[in-house]
Amino acid sequence: MPWDYSNKVMQLFRDAIAGKAGTHFGKVETPDGQGHHGSMQCGDAMEFTFRVDRTGDDPKLDRIVEARYQTFGCTSAIASSEALCRMLEERKITPIEAIAIKNADIVDYLEGLPPQKLHCSVMGAEALQAAVVDWARKRDVPLSDLGIDPSQLVEDEGRVVCHCFTLTEPYIRRKVKELNLRSIEEISAAIKAGGACTSCHHEPGGLQDILNDVWGVQPAPVASPNVPLPEPSPSSPAGRNARTPYQLAKEVERVVDKVIRPRLALEGGDIEIVEIRDKKVFCRLLGVCAACVGAQQTLNFVVEDSLRQNVDPEIEVIPVTV
Amino acid sequence: MSKQPIYLDNNATTCVAPEVLDVMLPFLKEQYYNPSSTYPEASFAHDAIERAREQVARIVGAGTRSEILFTGCATEGNNAALWGALRANPDRKHVVTTAVEHPAVLEVAKDLQRFGYRVTVLPVDTAGRLNAGDLLKALAPDTAIVSIMHANNETGVMFPVGELARLVKRVDPKIVFHTDATQTVGKVPMSLSKDLAAVDLLTMSGHKVHAAKGVGAMFVRRGARWRPFLIGGHQERGRRAGTENVAGIVGLGRACTLALESYREEERLRQLQQWLEQSIKAKIPNVFVNGEGAERLPNTSNFAFEYVEGEGILMALVDAGILASSGSACTSGSLDPSHVLKAMNVPFSAAHGSLRISMSRYTTGAEVDRLIEVLPGVIDSLRRISPYWDQEKNAPREGVDIFVQEKYR
Repeated sequence: MPWDYSNKVMQLFRDAIAGKAGTHFGKVETPDGQGHHGSMQCGDAMEFTFRVDRTGDDPKLDRIVEARYQTFGCTSAIASSEALCRMLEERKITPIEAIAIKNADIVDYLEGLPPQKLHCSVMGAEALQAAVVDWARKRDVPLSDLGIDPSQLVEDEGRVVCHCFTLTEPYIRRKVKELNLRSIEEISAAIKAGGACTSCHHEPGGLQDILNDVWGVQPAPVASPNVPLPEPSPSSPAGRNARTPYQLAKEVERVVDKVIRPRLALEGGDIEIVEIRDKKVFCRLLGVCAACVGAQQTLNFVVEDSLRQNVDPEIEVIPVTV
Repeated sequence: MSKQPIYLDNNATTCVAPEVLDVMLPFLKEQYYNPSSTYPEASFAHDAIERAREQVARIVGAGTRSEILFTGCATEGNNAALWGALRANPDRKHVVTTAVEHPAVLEVAKDLQRFGYRVTVLPVDTAGRLNAGDLLKALAPDTAIVSIMHANNETGVMFPVGELARLVKRVDPKIVFHTDATQTVGKVPMSLSKDLAAVDLLTMSGHKVHAAKGVGAMFVRRGARWRPFLIGGHQERGRRAGTENVAGIVGLGRACTLALESYREEERLRQLQQWLEQSIKAKIPNVFVNGEGAERLPNTSNFAFEYVEGEGILMALVDAGILASSGSACTSGSLDPSHVLKAMNVPFSAAHGSLRISMSRYTTGAEVDRLIEVLPGVIDSLRRISPYWDQEKNAPREGVDIFVQEKYR
């Protein structure tokens, strides 16, 4: 589908990859705050660092003066990273004020993002929050002053719901509430959960269950799952000599090992049995035999004749050349 | 953009050849009659369709032109192939296909499961190749149809469908063998009377061979166990109802004759492909070619650039006036990278950074040179921003590659 990016997104992206003056990729030396969000598996990841200006002993007077990012991701991920750093430096705010910046603010700064790209702005907000928490730890600021429940940070460790992006139930619950996500589509757009293989959508404890639980909806009746039909039992071929297909295959293998292989080996060749179906033996010649112009003769006179004599006169040998 | 862009996305669609447009126009103007009408004025359109049928039959090497049906697109053809084979074999409930098929086959197969059919999806190896043994083992007593594409649209990897069809027929001649040849018709020579003699159904599209969008063709071998999909008219001898897209069909016929003449281009494209791949590998670290080592189309190169994201690559190329495509998640609307690259077990780090270059007979050496000139700078600037890349060493950050390989291989 064609891109639906604002001019702002395009401008920030172009500036960033051109490395224009005033862009923010990179890393702050000895950062006061450092945060990370995303992973290579998810398709985007961001390393975010900032430096503060300390006016006194009170950490609450610290102001963010420099912000840098390193980002692996698409156009809007890079633009979101750039936007976040610009917002922080333009506003010269304290880390505690910065934590109030949500993904919606980044979207506003970017003059909008396509719905399926919202997760790029969420990544920026998450990395920022992680960096502020890091700053608070370094500066001995209690997390409660940030309006963050310290238990929440540990809580995000938990049962993995979305295995594609390794997202846990506590994390998804928290984001569903914070970002007011009301449907599976909204969840995928914002935090990616359920956006890939989709198997967590309706499984027990999956995204729909979390939504129902958070927003207090009765679980909808679940459509009966696809139960694959049982494999029909293959019609038993009533052979004249009552050999099961398994026994026949075993005998073919025995004759190949004892009789055919040694003969082919004399000429530096070998054979691989690809599949045995009824009395049809699909095989591949290997080594010099594979390249030999007489391969067909070899199959007819060595392989097929031996199997007919030793196993069953109706055996047919079919070459596999791919 | 004032200048014409360099178009390297020919597996997505192709430009309409000027000769094709020329033969189409009369049927959009004065020759608008319904080819089924009885007055003499309509016979021109009718005859033009039959001539186009002959031209399509020739490019795929069909024995007679009556084995060719015109469709709306390859997607219709693929739907018709699968459903038509199943309806003609009601006692058979099993379908075999591959993990790398186009969604027009794979999604139909998924849908079939909802109707109680069993589907076996064959895996591919890391170079995108099928294993004949897997195919033979997958065949069940009630297998109705095997559908295997001729060449993959993303990687250009070709499957030996002629030989695979022959093996399937040796196990059970009643199994219908279908191949989606959308990416091969017009690019590599083929013959349904020779190398593909065991193939029952073949589907193709017009707009991949420099004809217009909205027209396709389907080969149905005489005597194949297949029932029509679109019903409701006597057109195409009742096998595909609906008033014919006369202009599109006539254009497709012309496009086929042009493609047949251009088969000598194959060697030139192969050389361009080789030049492109060698140059990119020499100029850019941590890149590999998906499907390398397998037999591939001459026009397609699928690169995986580690530690960068494909959408960013495309966007930066657009700014340089080059149009291509990517298997990255960000370009797909879903958050999942290409199902083809995943089936090939390409690590996520690289699947996200995939770039598909697909040429046509109109692609020039100068255009490929321009790509070779621009791409290293694009990858470099994106890697500079990436947290996984060490700019000073111009290599992945220590530990990153090990992490990636272990987690996603």
